Amino acid sequence: MRLLVIGLDCVPPEFVFERFAMPHLRALMRRGSYGPLESVVPPITVPAWACMMTGRDPGALGIYGFRNRQDYTYEGLGIANSTSVREPAIWDRLSATGRQVILVGVPPSFPPRPVNGVMVSCFLTPSAKSEYTHPATLKPELEARFGEYLFDVADFRTDDKAALLRRVFAVSEQKFAIVRHLMTTRPWDFCMFVDMGPDRLHHGFWKYWDRAHVKHEPGNPFLRAFPEYYAYLDEQIGALLEVVGDDVAVLVVSDHGAKRMDGAICVNEWLRREGYLTLRNPPQGIQRLAPSMVDWAKTVAWGEGGYYSRIVLNVKGREPEGIVDGGAYERLRDELIQGLERLGDEQGRPIGTRVYRPEELYPVRRNIPPDLITIFGDLSWRSAGSVGFEQVWTHENDTGPDDANHAQYGMFAAAGLPLPPGELSGMRLLDVAPLLSRFFGLNGAE
Amino acid sequence: MEGFTVWFTGLPSSGKSTLAGLLSDALRRRGLAVELLDGDEVRTVLTRGLGFSREDRDENIQRIAWVAKVLTRNGVVAITAAISPYRAARDHARQAIGRFVEVYVACPVEVCIQRDVKGLYARALRGEIEQFTGVSDPYEEPLQPEVVVRTDVESPEESLQRIVGSLESGGFLAPGMTNVRVPTYLVEQLRRVWGDGAFEARLGEALAAQAAAVEEPLHEAEREEVLARLRSLGYVD
Repeated sequence: MRLLVIGLDCVPPEFVFERFAMPHLRALMRRGSYGPLESVVPPITVPAWACMMTGRDPGALGIYGFRNRQDYTYEGLGIANSTSVREPAIWDRLSATGRQVILVGVPPSFPPRPVNGVMVSCFLTPSAKSEYTHPATLKPELEARFGEYLFDVADFRTDDKAALLRRVFAVSEQKFAIVRHLMTTRPWDFCMFVDMGPDRLHHGFWKYWDRAHVKHEPGNPFLRAFPEYYAYLDEQIGALLEVVGDDVAVLVVSDHGAKRMDGAICVNEWLRREGYLTLRNPPQGIQRLAPSMVDWAKTVAWGEGGYYSRIVLNVKGREPEGIVDGGAYERLRDELIQGLERLGDEQGRPIGTRVYRPEELYPVRRNIPPDLITIFGDLSWRSAGSVGFEQVWTHENDTGPDDANHAQYGMFAAAGLPLPPGELSGMRLLDVAPLLSRFFGLNGAE
Repeated sequence: MEGFTVWFTGLPSSGKSTLAGLLSDALRRRGLAVELLDGDEVRTVLTRGLGFSREDRDENIQRIAWVAKVLTRNGVVAITAAISPYRAARDHARQAIGRFVEVYVACPVEVCIQRDVKGLYARALRGEIEQFTGVSDPYEEPLQPEVVVRTDVESPEESLQRIVGSLESGGFLAPGMTNVRVPTYLVEQLRRVWGDGAFEARLGEALAAQAAAVEEPLHEAEREEVLARLRSLGYVD
């Protein structure tokens, strides 16, 4: 009983089921099941893959994004890493029952954790100099065979898009090659890897391909980047499936989808204008918001930028210079929710922003959750955390060009797993771990 | 991680504190938050002033159970090591706590008397201590404990292994994480290199060092490197 999991970060269902020619994937779909996969909120790489493989939501994991508050100070944000995941993933449980695993690039997996098998860490690896394999002896073996490990696409914000596209292909190529090598040289019951290539392609090249994108340039040289990349991805999938044969179960899965980005809401600009956030001095141009810039004695709330926004209230007795009385906390959260959900685009058209209280999303909330979680415009808008913008909306990402955002639905296609055949609707990312546990006969999975 | 309580019960000198300490260390090495409520220690603070009448003993157990309940519901592993001689009081604790594992530390009273770690049996047998469990006060054995360990015939390591095994099979302990099975050939090799006596201790040290190392897995410069990449990718700003 063996399972291969091909993780494709950021792949939306419509691309692989309809839009692009992917004969190998279609063949897999024909002999199994497939459909959209509803991600968690927030639908972001970290925590989504960890949620998928532990079966726990972000609240239960206490991981609300790449960065999480370590304490209630204004600066205490830590970066999530493999040790942040305190619940057992499917491979921990398989390892404990003597099954052999191969893991390559499943976020967050740096530092690599000991497993019964091998692990190569993910794109959160600081550099190729880091110890990124378990066991440590695997690193020299891989480097001798594949050269320097490309844990991510380097220099992502470059203007040299042709070179960037080559690097996206190279990262995917090496990832598949490493997995093929490990699959054919190691015993395994469970093999999983995550290719970040699709995500980097979407964020870097969406406007070149999508004619509806506000910044689309007709006749640009990268019009074919998307179909060509997906065709390449399909070839790679086909080559892997050939290696494993039909008696191995296969799951191709993404952690979230992708969609065109219409712009960014400058969340801290909005908070400033509405009187919730006060700076000591007016910003000189566009600046990342630093705690030292804030007049905390006059600040009720601040927000984080990213593909969604986390908003934190400055609560008396909790934050060092908190001013929000406990009694006013709920009223202020209601006020912020109403204000943010009412905020439309530049023309005042509604964009469908949703603001969640963490307790609405997660029955258990470990570590320090934000006070509010904001999804701007059904993810067609991102959150810009910098200040100094002339207005609340921008079409320039404050970290550089970016044309795509994440979408709530990823995809799955599976063969050999205990699922009804054909197209399935209603699958959720959190259903994956229980499904795999059933497949492997692990107890206490659900 | 959901919390749970491991409730050791048994005669004085049966080995409760020893096993509770070993279990506490083993679980901490797995990265769990553990609080050990040892009977003797608890009586100096939480239940100071209580005697050994049935009422006082029940009150003692009720207070320990309450603390264990609070710890458990906050995701901590509470380990209690008190004689807790009365079945009704233990069952009450089980009901109140919910996620509860009763470990009966079984040992014939004659063996406990021989051990007499604190010299209390000798005093009780001389009549200097009234209501001493096993001598002048009853000990009610658990009817359906999750684990029974026989400390008169098992080594502490064997008992510990069975307790941990039971916690795993009961779904209280997540297998995996630092619980990676060490291949047999490696165990044999390490035993040869380290010697039988030192093997457990050195393996324990290695696991503890690993647990400590993962507390701060990234150096400052590495953190900055990763953060810069996350910024460039648009995940954070």
